[in-house]
Amino acid sequence: MIESILIDGAIAGGIYSLLALGFTLIYGVSGVINLAHSGFFMIGALLFATSGAFLLPVLEPLGVIPTFILILALILAAISVATIGGIVYKLIISPIIGDDVAIMVVTVSLALIFQQIMLLALDAAKLTYIPVAPFIRGATWGVRNESLLAFGVSVTLFISLWIFITKSKIGGAMRAVSQDREVAMLMGINTERLYMLTMGISAAFATVAGVFYASSVLVGQAPPHMWLQPLFSSFAIVILGGLGSIKGTLIGGFIIAYTETLVAYLIPQGGQIVPAVSLVIIMLIILIRPKGLFGKRIEME
Amino acid sequence: MVIHYLKRAYSSFAAHVFDIPPRLLALLLFMLLIFLPITKPDDYIQRMFRDIFFFATLAASWDLLVGRTGQISLGHALFFGIGAYGTALLYKYFGFPPWVTIPIAVLIGVSISPLIGSPCLRAKGPYLALVTMVLPLILNTLFKYSPLLPITGGERGIGPLPPLIPVEFFRTIGFSGRKAYPMVDLANYYLGLVLLCASSIILYKIANSKTGMVFVSILDDDLASKACGINVTRYKLIAFAISSLFAALTGATYAHVITIVNPSGFLDITLSFLPVILTFLGGIGTLYGPLVGAHIYFIIHRYVLQTTHIPYLTGTQWTFTRDLIFAAVVIILIIKWPRGIARFVTDKLQDLEEARDLDERGKWIWKKYKKEKTK
Repeated sequence: MIESILIDGAIAGGIYSLLALGFTLIYGVSGVINLAHSGFFMIGALLFATSGAFLLPVLEPLGVIPTFILILALILAAISVATIGGIVYKLIISPIIGDDVAIMVVTVSLALIFQQIMLLALDAAKLTYIPVAPFIRGATWGVRNESLLAFGVSVTLFISLWIFITKSKIGGAMRAVSQDREVAMLMGINTERLYMLTMGISAAFATVAGVFYASSVLVGQAPPHMWLQPLFSSFAIVILGGLGSIKGTLIGGFIIAYTETLVAYLIPQGGQIVPAVSLVIIMLIILIRPKGLFGKRIEME
Repeated sequence: MVIHYLKRAYSSFAAHVFDIPPRLLALLLFMLLIFLPITKPDDYIQRMFRDIFFFATLAASWDLLVGRTGQISLGHALFFGIGAYGTALLYKYFGFPPWVTIPIAVLIGVSISPLIGSPCLRAKGPYLALVTMVLPLILNTLFKYSPLLPITGGERGIGPLPPLIPVEFFRTIGFSGRKAYPMVDLANYYLGLVLLCASSIILYKIANSKTGMVFVSILDDDLASKACGINVTRYKLIAFAISSLFAALTGATYAHVITIVNPSGFLDITLSFLPVILTFLGGIGTLYGPLVGAHIYFIIHRYVLQTTHIPYLTGTQWTFTRDLIFAAVVIILIIKWPRGIARFVTDKLQDLEEARDLDERGKWIWKKYKKEKTK
């Protein structure tokens, strides 16, 4: 049981921190609390499943390995969700930027739109969940290969995005804007375009997280309500790590994932109160240490 | 003597209501709502308006906290749910009638509010919004936890609760047999209307009193009001308590209207966002905005979209599409009129009035000029 707690926690932790990274990135750069972030996560899984189902019968007879087709589908889904994210920023969030409550209402409505699209798609296909194909079948050391892949990919992507933000020129622009928007604009940074780009990047990362969440944690199923619980988990991670801190997101992701796994395994009927775990952690953190573990903005790291 | 006082009351009423167009409009709307069930005894519309009354009250109490005091709370379902569960549990374990359980439940809600408010208000801005959003969801999850099922009833909830005015009462008046049941609905309708009017007037009075001015000063500048010697924390807690009082009252009363209390009906996240959406549609910080917003929301969502039928779509598909359309409408309205529809209309009216004033003044100056010229 200890091994399964350790392994499940690690896999969920990797995916959660990848999801929360996008959330904290868009908050840290533009100050937008994007409640539709896990909507991107869900719509990404939907697009991956549909494009996979579309591409597999076309490319498999040509001799392409199914894993590569699925990777292609994942990249396609990530690009299209990133485009959706950019468009959403431009059309919906940009006109009301600066008004926190309005942004929250609008983004929640957006997440509901995504959920309804998902429900409509499911209704058209007469299913209760969308099946998400695994990249690799089989298992090593008693763990599904799929889960190991999910862990590897999410940690790699997390670290590469971290390097992108700290080392590249666009990352430098992001840090500059999060430090001081006006001065960054004076230095010739197009903040509007940068916000769109950030939104696109965070949406693409949410897609990857969503696909792996559906294929490994939910064992190949993408139900239409899968956005709600990860949303609160990513809140908890972001608040635990400090809004806008990247290091905090990584550590917070693993803490939340392990706590949830422990509760699910150790408390009788624990599966039913797993959603409350991250909520209680949010409460406690805000009451004890409102800044979070590493309460800094992106620029400080 | 009596006639003298009646005359004075009437003249003061006329001076306060008839001279001010928005108030006259409100009065006309009120009259319309009073006579609605008599002229159009359609059960569905009557129930829709009953829900409008309850949720407009909830939204108005949210507006006092957020629109007037600036404490962003996204967890108004908490007090709504505490009120409902309070009255339901009191009925379940002690069997008290609603008129006893509702005040006790409201009292519980108000006494819990400083316990929750004082730590929450240490957080600011987005943090406060997130922590308040979380609270009702914790209760929601706990109430569904299976070891607690004997107490809370899980997703099936607690019920049936007695209606506010029991059927026996109408039987004693003279409505025999089946005729007594629609009367319960009618009574709920009028109780909702009374609740809405009473709480709107009280909230309006509070918002325009000295305390209300302090609330607005906290909204404008937290630090400056602290520098003026205002105990900011105390006033924030007062705003929290007033808001939770009306939310708990609405929740407790609505529990007896619906007669079943369950997590998805009283502690859901959609219920936390409903007052926010209603207030934003009407206009935040106005207190009459939520009322306008509630009418728009329920009439579009429950009537227009419910009665239209689109070919080529099955029933469930149309249900999903309807919610999708509604979410899109909310987004468009908020982007288009971020200050609310009611405010948009009043602003336009004011502009027209100012333009008319300017126009008249211009004419007057022109006449004077002409007179001087002819001399």
